[in-house]
Amino acid sequence: MEERTRAYLRGRFGDYYRRAEITPPPDANEREWGYIPWTSGPGTTMVRHKSLLDLGDIEGFLERERPRHVYFSAGRYDDPSAGSMSEKHWRTSDLVFDLDADHLPSVTLGEDSYAEMLAKCKDALLRLLDFLEDDFGFEEMTIAFSGGRGYHVHVRDPGIQELEREARREVVDYVRGMGMEFDAVIDEEAVGGEVGRKSPAHNEYLPTDGGWGRRIHERLLAEFEQIKSLDEDAAVERLQEYDGVGEKKARAAWNIAQDRFVEIERGNLSAHPVVKNFAERIAASVVEEDDAPIDEPVTTDTNRLIRLPGTLHGGSGLAVRRIDRDAVDDFDPLVDAVPDTFVGHEIAVEVTDGGLIELLGDSFTLSEGEHTVPEHVGVFLMARGRAEKGPE
Amino acid sequence: MKALHARYPFLSAAREAVETAGVDLSELVASDSAAVERGLERVEWAVTEGTVGEPHRRTRVELLSYPVARVLVSLVDEHILLRRYARAEAVTAYDRFSEELTATAEFQSTRTERLDRQDLLAEFDLSGHVHAVAGEDGEYRVDVGTYLEHTAGQWGDEWRLVNRPLADGQVPVDEDELLLLVRQAVRRRVEDGLPLSVPDAIATELDDETERVRDVLADLDLTRDIDTVVPDLFPPCMRHLLDKVQKGEHLEHHSRFAIAAFLTSIGMSTDEIVELFQVNPGFGEEATRYQVDHIRGETSPTEYSAPACATMQSYGDCVNKDDICEDVINESHPLNYYEHRLEEADEEELVDWRDGEEDEEDDDAG
Repeated sequence: MEERTRAYLRGRFGDYYRRAEITPPPDANEREWGYIPWTSGPGTTMVRHKSLLDLGDIEGFLERERPRHVYFSAGRYDDPSAGSMSEKHWRTSDLVFDLDADHLPSVTLGEDSYAEMLAKCKDALLRLLDFLEDDFGFEEMTIAFSGGRGYHVHVRDPGIQELEREARREVVDYVRGMGMEFDAVIDEEAVGGEVGRKSPAHNEYLPTDGGWGRRIHERLLAEFEQIKSLDEDAAVERLQEYDGVGEKKARAAWNIAQDRFVEIERGNLSAHPVVKNFAERIAASVVEEDDAPIDEPVTTDTNRLIRLPGTLHGGSGLAVRRIDRDAVDDFDPLVDAVPDTFVGHEIAVEVTDGGLIELLGDSFTLSEGEHTVPEHVGVFLMARGRAEKGPE
Repeated sequence: MKALHARYPFLSAAREAVETAGVDLSELVASDSAAVERGLERVEWAVTEGTVGEPHRRTRVELLSYPVARVLVSLVDEHILLRRYARAEAVTAYDRFSEELTATAEFQSTRTERLDRQDLLAEFDLSGHVHAVAGEDGEYRVDVGTYLEHTAGQWGDEWRLVNRPLADGQVPVDEDELLLLVRQAVRRRVEDGLPLSVPDAIATELDDETERVRDVLADLDLTRDIDTVVPDLFPPCMRHLLDKVQKGEHLEHHSRFAIAAFLTSIGMSTDEIVELFQVNPGFGEEATRYQVDHIRGETSPTEYSAPACATMQSYGDCVNKDDICEDVINESHPLNYYEHRLEEADEEELVDWRDGEEDEEDDDAG
């Protein structure tokens, strides 16, 4: 990035911060703060180990410094400005989740557009929220668009504040479905042997009311509802499409769906071997479909620095936007995270790396060379290193 | 001093009782040989048996032996001792309270004072986080934060959160599981504050006992003690080397030596090592056999031991360091890592690789 581009962006970031209202996180004075300035040179150096005391009030600091990137710690400390983690004396940490399009298995890098990547990331966000709200029952959550390629969720419920790294890793594994073992998920219940009938000592049940067991059960139920709605021949034909399901198994499944559907509702895997067989099949694919592929190190690191909602992302010129829970469905980062400050002006840029840009509902295909473009497009291109500031 | 406090000396009420009685620790170690002896026994048993042994018949001696034991553990100040000791206190307490809580009413009436479940939960700030399920005896729901605090990384697959029917922030547990959770809370309580900083006067008074504990620890020959082969629990460096061997990749001599010496140290025979290595086709059985025999001193005068972390690092064999490497074993020795993992794991959950192999052979035969 050339000096004039850097100076331009820094100046315009300053204009943004003069108008922006930044809500600091709770306990801001117990957190570590850090930022990356608009320095030249290839290496970016983060200025960190700052306390709020060092910076002064956040809005004033941002207006003066106009940083390229701004971060605060998930952790709270006795002495947030101490130079090492052990001297800081950790107290507690928010539980932070980071979904990054770069890490999503569903994203094909180099093929998906930025908009497509962000859309897939939001699908993953909704799956993550399903875990955090329904399974974990978290109530104090801040959801934010990261300004780059994904979303952050900050959980601040008191019950998780003191968890250490190992416990946080269990949370990560839970939402990613890592280590989910079918045999460990199912429950065994002792059943009394009936007279004159050979009865197993235990019945196996799929938990229907929580966890990955519930997710498997929901699919099992849906599958058997399908089977139930078909007549025998159609069902048998459909079921035989599965690997390893022959006519005998298929008929058994159809019979259970007709006569003993309540057992499926109860999650009773011992009702018939075919039921357990189907549940195991579903278990093998449910993780792939339902997991939230969050970035593990962010969540397990109790000292992690995260972008401050309300600030600008220096690598995109988009705002790190806090999103109300009700607004998540309709949130479009390429519209809603474009800062108003950069809208309604035009500037000249020299595009060095052209291609498709989609912002504010418009798409632009720019070739290399000089162009006059809406400022928000120019800022985006310059921040991404795809253009330099053109002559005035 | 109450019998209850002697049975559960880590309770805050027990600590208060000791304080109220005005017991001075330096006086105690100088004059109360029974308490010192029992304190030493607690620690010795912890190392060798995994419990703190049978209580002394006198309540006072039994109770006061607890602070003595903590001082001894602090004086020796070895990580493995701290862990074993805390674990043993917790196991002993667990045995006692599970018996008390499940005993019949008739048996209970013979006790003057006993611990009930509510007190026990309250002691560890668990009351607000453990909820009895209405109408279901022996079923509880534990707040997920509390559950994780006490179970993370402790036991087998069934305890992993991912395998639990977590709903609305709560994890269902049964009576037995709840008591195990409390056992873990006891362990944390015991570990808390250890090692203590011990005044010189007390340290001198306990010189003999400290020496005795060191001897007991030294007798714990790691190589013989381990004799369990669970590759999943290997330190990252050894897992990495083993993976490479099994994929048939070329290992430099020092790397080959490191993995072979490590496997020898955990009790594997030459044949077993050869078998574990033999997953890949391009494997030189004779060379391995020769090298392993050499390491165990069968074809050479010296018995070689597995390299320490420092050696692994200087050869570039230290890879994928994790929290245990850095924080728990302080980058000391891969065997310490492995021992720590074994120690943390539930014994019943461990499947020795050698047993697994036998099973497979049985299956094949059947």
